[in-house]
Amino acid sequence: MDISKALDISSAGMEAQTSRLRVIAENLANQDTTGSKPGADPYRRKTVTFAEALDPAVGVSTVTVKRIGKDMSDFTMKYDPSHPAANAEGYVKMPNVNSFVELMDMREAEQSYSANLNVMQVTRSMLTRMIDMLK
Amino acid sequence: MQTGSNDLFSLAERKLGWLEDRQRVLARNVANANTPNFQPSDERPFSAALSSFMVTPVQTNAMHLPGTDNDGGSVKVPGHERSPDGNRVSVEDEMTKVAETDNQQRLVTNIYSKYMAMFSTALGKG
Repeated sequence: MDISKALDISSAGMEAQTSRLRVIAENLANQDTTGSKPGADPYRRKTVTFAEALDPAVGVSTVTVKRIGKDMSDFTMKYDPSHPAANAEGYVKMPNVNSFVELMDMREAEQSYSANLNVMQVTRSMLTRMIDMLK
Repeated sequence: MQTGSNDLFSLAERKLGWLEDRQRVLARNVANANTPNFQPSDERPFSAALSSFMVTPVQTNAMHLPGTDNDGGSVKVPGHERSPDGNRVSVEDEMTKVAETDNQQRLVTNIYSKYMAMFSTALGKG
């Protein structure tokens, strides 16, 4: 039935947003993770890119996580000579995670997740009404 | 009561089919609300679907891939919004359309049930 495909698309959308939230949580949890050797690179922020893709099992195009990439922006330097990862000048490389950016991303993911959930609920009530026509 | 090819039952059937298709298209738009360069689409108006002059591609073999683009029933409708990544989906617009589809489906199923009840009355089972 066609309408169950709408349910599949919505659930794929929710799944994609969930993996995005997982990456955001990873970024936030690691926002203070530095290297352990002098001059070593700290945690690098991860990014998520979505793409439309054909789901061969259902036969409709849904959404998937295309790639979990790395944010190649510069690390911030923090002066902390006693840190094990401090370089010869006493600076430590800090992760390029900005908690405000992550928070905004989180809000967007949350909003998109509820939008998909909303569509799914409407689709379900449409399906229920169709079944009720049999009465 | 008239029962031809254009009676209320076949009309309701076509309308319900159209609403199902539209719901699928809208679900696709919402699922891709954060996909870069995605352009939302919408189903052609029901009046156009009724005039039955629409040419739509059909899968003639089970081995054929359906393709990532939707069937001929839907057209791309770039929204007035455009985010920096090239996405043109406005979730608010889509939600309005979803609510509209829901209401129309409610109307059609109710009319169908009433019509069925009339049949039952006519047959003396109401």
